[in-house]
Amino acid sequence: MGSQDGTLELTGLRRTYGEVVALDDLSFTVPPGQVFGFLGPNGAGKTTAMRAIVGVASLDSGTVRWNGEPIGPQARSRIGYMPEERGLYPAMRVFEQLEYLARLHGMGAAAAHDAARHWADRLGVGSRGEDKVEALSLGNQQRVQLAAALVHDPKLLVLDEPFSGLDPVGVDAMSGVLAERAAAGATMLFSSHQLDLVEHLCQSVAIIDHGRLVAHGAVAELARAGKVRVSVRVAGDAAGRWAEYLGPAAQVDSTDGTVVVTLHDRADAQNVLDRAMAAGPVEQFGFVHRRLSEVFRDAVGHAPQDEAQAVAAVGGSS
Amino acid sequence: MTGNWWTLTRLVVQREIRERTQAKSFWIASVILLVAVAAGAIIPALLSGHRSTAQVGIVGGDTVALTQTALEAGRITETTVNVITVPDVASAKAQLLSGNLDAVLVGGTEVLVKQNAVFGSKGTLAGTLAQVGGFAKVYQALPPAVAASVARSGVGLPIHGLIPPPQGLASRFTGLAVAILIYVIIITFGMRITIGVGEEKSSRVVEVLLTTLRPVQLLAGKVIGMGALAMAQVAALAGCYLALGYALGSPAVQGAAIGVVAAAVVWLLLGYAFYCTAYAAAGSLITRQADAYNATIPLQVPLILGYVLAYTVLFSGGVSWFYHLLAFVPFTAPVAMPVLIAVGAAPLWEIVLSAAITIASTVVMVRFAATIYERAILRTGGRLKVRQVLASVS
Repeated sequence: MGSQDGTLELTGLRRTYGEVVALDDLSFTVPPGQVFGFLGPNGAGKTTAMRAIVGVASLDSGTVRWNGEPIGPQARSRIGYMPEERGLYPAMRVFEQLEYLARLHGMGAAAAHDAARHWADRLGVGSRGEDKVEALSLGNQQRVQLAAALVHDPKLLVLDEPFSGLDPVGVDAMSGVLAERAAAGATMLFSSHQLDLVEHLCQSVAIIDHGRLVAHGAVAELARAGKVRVSVRVAGDAAGRWAEYLGPAAQVDSTDGTVVVTLHDRADAQNVLDRAMAAGPVEQFGFVHRRLSEVFRDAVGHAPQDEAQAVAAVGGSS
Repeated sequence: MTGNWWTLTRLVVQREIRERTQAKSFWIASVILLVAVAAGAIIPALLSGHRSTAQVGIVGGDTVALTQTALEAGRITETTVNVITVPDVASAKAQLLSGNLDAVLVGGTEVLVKQNAVFGSKGTLAGTLAQVGGFAKVYQALPPAVAASVARSGVGLPIHGLIPPPQGLASRFTGLAVAILIYVIIITFGMRITIGVGEEKSSRVVEVLLTTLRPVQLLAGKVIGMGALAMAQVAALAGCYLALGYALGSPAVQGAAIGVVAAAVVWLLLGYAFYCTAYAAAGSLITRQADAYNATIPLQVPLILGYVLAYTVLFSGGVSWFYHLLAFVPFTAPVAMPVLIAVGAAPLWEIVLSAAITIASTVVMVRFAATIYERAILRTGGRLKVRQVLASVS
């Protein structure tokens, strides 16, 4: 096994903290060149897995391979990591900090100097280069943090909750950089607990819960998989009465009478359309794709938010 | 330990030095220490310095010759001498003790002073009086037999202090300065290490650093960088002390005091090496800067003990067995041993044994502290206890 093309492979990751199982036989692969989302509720084990990938947390068992090999010191210098709780020297100047991190990843002094300025400019904090990090707003600190993860031109990006705390402009800037890096061929894994917020950014995802893989694959395929649903609206029938014959399989949106029907089979869609057309003019008809939160709910039987609250209640963290 | 290992560690060292030397507090502390050390060199010079006028009594002998001797001694030492003829030795002593007279030249036999000079009499009025008086005596006693007898007993007249002088105060004074310096340098740079490590941990920057650095590289870079700064500071302080001391002719740089300064530099190195990693380990246990002081108390107490007890050694005259014991305990040896050396209470074997114990303990301490650091630096949550960390598997 093992591929040389930049694929990241997680195999059988397991980690326990006392009684708590943070990672439970977690396995999935991240192909290069894609924006790959690592999703799950708070406390699902995302941070533990990411820290294990970059080598700052140990595993009870399991292996992490990149380019077909375990990640050693050489490979580490080509990883860009953005930790969940962030991490910069508060009293160090932005340029100085970026240069230092670039050099720690093996860049020469001149290259590090240029790269620090390039990435600070690219992320819109170039004018603050001589300021101390602690003097920047949190949003700008986060931009510096991303610059710190990118400054040494890493081939593997591991970003823990890069979107949390960003304003919409920041989200766009971050999304743009992630898409660009993926297009440049980097292998990328970024985590988020807000499944629906990031689903449009991701080409592929791994969704985990309780340290276990819940779903894995291309977003488009996950959305199409599962039960088939159609959404139908018949003009003049705001209560969706035409669909009563379907029983609990039909759910009516009381605002405009749109009925979402869960089908056993894609072929049943035609029957539903026929019945709707018989009841009146059909204003809308279409297949409904699952959102990632629904993918999650379909797999574990409850919504991700419930999980987050349950974990918060016992004071746990990932 | 490849070349790459040192390349990365050197980057950490450079960052530490750059960050510290950019901080105002570093320069303020450096200036304060420099001033203190300069005072240490200047004060003994002032204590042994020349007064502008002096009352010199003469007793017996040839009044004219003795007056001449006293005035010549005054000229050499740039002192205005008032010569007062005193009827007898007893009244001369009484006037010395009351402070009416500064020195008494007893007709061709001796010089009396209230108390012998703290740093020796060379260059003082009394010392010059004794020398000039001695030569005058030789000159008068020209007959060869007498000259030979005088030559045997020495040319200079004996100087008799009426009350006993404190023993070897020059080196005692230096000993105290050394105890303070070692204590202050180890604790200030140690605290900087603790705060620096705590800051890296609490800001979580350590998460980013340790993706490419091994914990031991970060630890080594920090203590080497701080150590280099500490040594540069010590070199500047010692240089200032010696330069000022020589320039002013201060007794603080003469004789045994130089040996004390040399011992201080060696023990400061040993002490820093022993303590620096322990301070780093303490920093790895905390998550807030405010905890830095509490976490380092166990490391400060032995140094404070060695420093405080140094006063009893330096100024009570005797060295207790307990203080000798402290010189063999690695936690207190860096302060206690230089103090013993300063009072001349440490034979060579004690010095060598104490150094050997400290070096051996440093090896053990570095391993122990590095283990704690490696296990604790990435652990989040509240403040950790050493026992908790040792019980855990990283």
